[in-house]
Amino acid sequence: MPQLKIAAALALAIILQLCLGNIWFPLSYIDFPLMVVVYIALQRHAWHALIVGTIAGLAVDAASRGLIGAGGFSKTLTAYLIYFAATRVNLENPLLRIPVLAAASVIDSAIYVFWHRSLGYPPTRPFMQTMSYRLIATTVVGTFALYLLDSLFTERARQRRSFASRRKGARRGRGLSRPSRR
Amino acid sequence: MAAIRTQKEIRQRAPIWLGILLLTNLIVMTLDARDSVTRQRLLRVWIQALASPAQSVTSGASGAGSNLIRQIVNFRSTAQENEVLKQQLATAQLQLRNAEQAAAENTRLQALLNLKEQTGYEQVTARVIARDSSTWFNTITINRGSSAGIALNMPVVTGTGIVGRVIALSPWTAQVMMITDEKAAAGAIVGQLGGSGALGPVRGLGESGLIEMRYVSGLEKVEVGDYILTTGQDGIYPPGLTVGEVAQVKSGTATQSHEILIRPGAKLDQLEEVAVLLYHPPQRPAPDQTLPNVDKSKK
Repeated sequence: MPQLKIAAALALAIILQLCLGNIWFPLSYIDFPLMVVVYIALQRHAWHALIVGTIAGLAVDAASRGLIGAGGFSKTLTAYLIYFAATRVNLENPLLRIPVLAAASVIDSAIYVFWHRSLGYPPTRPFMQTMSYRLIATTVVGTFALYLLDSLFTERARQRRSFASRRKGARRGRGLSRPSRR
Repeated sequence: MAAIRTQKEIRQRAPIWLGILLLTNLIVMTLDARDSVTRQRLLRVWIQALASPAQSVTSGASGAGSNLIRQIVNFRSTAQENEVLKQQLATAQLQLRNAEQAAAENTRLQALLNLKEQTGYEQVTARVIARDSSTWFNTITINRGSSAGIALNMPVVTGTGIVGRVIALSPWTAQVMMITDEKAAAGAIVGQLGGSGALGPVRGLGESGLIEMRYVSGLEKVEVGDYILTTGQDGIYPPGLTVGEVAQVKSGTATQSHEILIRPGAKLDQLEEVAVLLYHPPQRPAPDQTLPNVDKSKK
């Protein structure tokens, strides 16, 4: 039941996002829901990624002072952009997750602030500073969090890896068989 | 093939879902933005209600948790703060030491003032500014000299006993030979003047810091702890000043005097302020050098 795992991971991420800031404010710069959104988008599950992005964004919006829907909008769009990139470029390499996470954080922040300013609710904190902190915190913590999510979704990852190796083998087989046929 | 078709369908329908979700978010957002007074929304109420237990738990834990994290993360600032506090503590300790010194100085000066009232002699209060630089002699230098009325051989005292006498002068400073110096001496008596016959000179013993009293009759009763006072017969110290107390007695006999060691009353190794008594001993008549059978009236 991957949906249940996704729901559990999302719930945990939202709870962490809502609670860690109470313990120590700088921890609120870590965007846990965005990590889940990025991970699912990288798995090329468009529907899951879009829904998770919307739910995560709305949940965090509702608990914050910001506009409800701004975070949902930004995370949904971010999820789609990452999904779009993942379907065209191979982002399976763990090292490539780092720039993806960084880009996701920047896009999410930019869209979120854009809507707030457009609708007359400019955020009180400076944009560049807050975005930089979010970028650093989310990228650093997210790099490790995606490994944890890998272990949570290990069955799917294992299948994906096995499919990938089978495809490689099949291509090689075709490639080797052609000269022999000639 | 079915799976591939499904993936293709998903890929084709993803933009539509995206549009729907974005539109939904946009509508919610604009509705929320229209009400600028309360910002109260059902979703917000529910989410906050659901999140409140976890948030209250973390808020409760934030006291200890945030302190721990803050301590770990702010370790550097704590170290800096520690340095600042150390400096402040050092400053406070210095101030406390100064206050203690001022109080002790006040006590000493008070004792000197009392001494003036007790002895009735005019005195000049002075501060010890140096000790003998050669370390070979028991002398001190004070910051008052002839311009303050100090003269050679004037006695130098503290509230607890005699210190010595002035042996050298400049207009602004004076050098004092302490009573423990081997060249220093004074006339003294064990106990009260008139109440004892234990008279004898005292002289310093040098580095030991003690004073020796000589020629006290072995028949006189002398005990450890007895006070030694000046007699005034030496022509330097006025009578009745405290020299010290008997520290050790080797009893004598009818034909042999006591051997008495005296601990000075003044704390000679901790001197800071002293008083110079402007004491002029009474002039003694010059000894008659002429022969008794010479008729002086003829001259």
